[in-house]
Amino acid sequence: MRDEAKSIARGLQRRDPNLLDRLIEQYQYRLFRYLVYITGNKERAEDFFQETWIRVLERGYQYDGRSRFEAWLFAIARHLVIDWQRAKKTQSLDALTDPEQEHPLQVANENEPSPLHQVLSQEKEENVQASLEKIPAIYREVLVLRFQEELQIDEMAGVLSIPVSTVKSRLYRGLEALRGALPGGAA
Amino acid sequence: MKAELHIRAHQFIAKERVEGLAQAERDSLAAHLQECALCAEFARQTEQALRSLRTAAIPLPSGLASRTQFRVRLRAQELREREPHRRALWLACAVSWACGIFSAPYVWRLFEWFGQLTRMPKLVWELGFGLWWTIPVLFAAVVLLMENARHSDEADWMRQGS
Repeated sequence: MRDEAKSIARGLQRRDPNLLDRLIEQYQYRLFRYLVYITGNKERAEDFFQETWIRVLERGYQYDGRSRFEAWLFAIARHLVIDWQRAKKTQSLDALTDPEQEHPLQVANENEPSPLHQVLSQEKEENVQASLEKIPAIYREVLVLRFQEELQIDEMAGVLSIPVSTVKSRLYRGLEALRGALPGGAA
Repeated sequence: MKAELHIRAHQFIAKERVEGLAQAERDSLAAHLQECALCAEFARQTEQALRSLRTAAIPLPSGLASRTQFRVRLRAQELREREPHRRALWLACAVSWACGIFSAPYVWRLFEWFGQLTRMPKLVWELGFGLWWTIPVLFAAVVLLMENARHSDEADWMRQGS
């Protein structure tokens, strides 16, 4: 694992086009899924997907291979989304997504399905996915990183730029929200 | 059975998924789950919820990877074309600094002579000498700022989107 990360780091230093092609192929699903979950919109996720890889090309020299590549990749993607949110609303993603704040991230008309719902509804497991939509984005994000992407808690702290203790508390609350949101999951 | 035991079992069920349990905690939870059907059901529901999350699929837009690879290759080409210019800029700065260091005593005398000729206060021509040294830095900074401005214009599509 460490050798692979080092080899990626060396390739990124050289801006090796073949390596970038391979990485885009390899991580396309995971990165796109993460972006859909944090932006709540498929088209926007596509834009951020492309912009993330451009950033990987430009800032590849900053990756030292000491952490897993996917953690660094998700951190880049998240920062892009935050920058965009700040430029748009002059507020941080956390402020926008924190359920205790006034403005949740998904601000779609309540009478219409949200963009995230539209994306997720294309699948057969409608109940499950519509339920995921009910979970506040701040918790959905940690759940995705932990249980879909299988990042370690310290890696998540790096991606999210928050303390490990905050990651844990968000995970506990997220797990509770997930159990409550999924059909038959409520205790 | 005491309510605290159930609360603790629920905490262990969550902790097991989030950060893992110590062996003693795992044994204690396993023993409790064998005796308590409600908590066992709670554990099953938690596992079911996580399984649903893991298996939730999002369709990938067709051609996303190839479109991205194309954009990345274009950008890489742009960066490669820009590199010689940037190298030339740094080289020019380095040469300019080197010349500045070697010529400093002569330039100092030149400024001193000019100051005396024009009866300028000493502080003014000394300041002029200092400013003379900042010219390469200012030039490099202006070029870099112009490059960054052009680069941020290219990224404006993101802010304009949606």
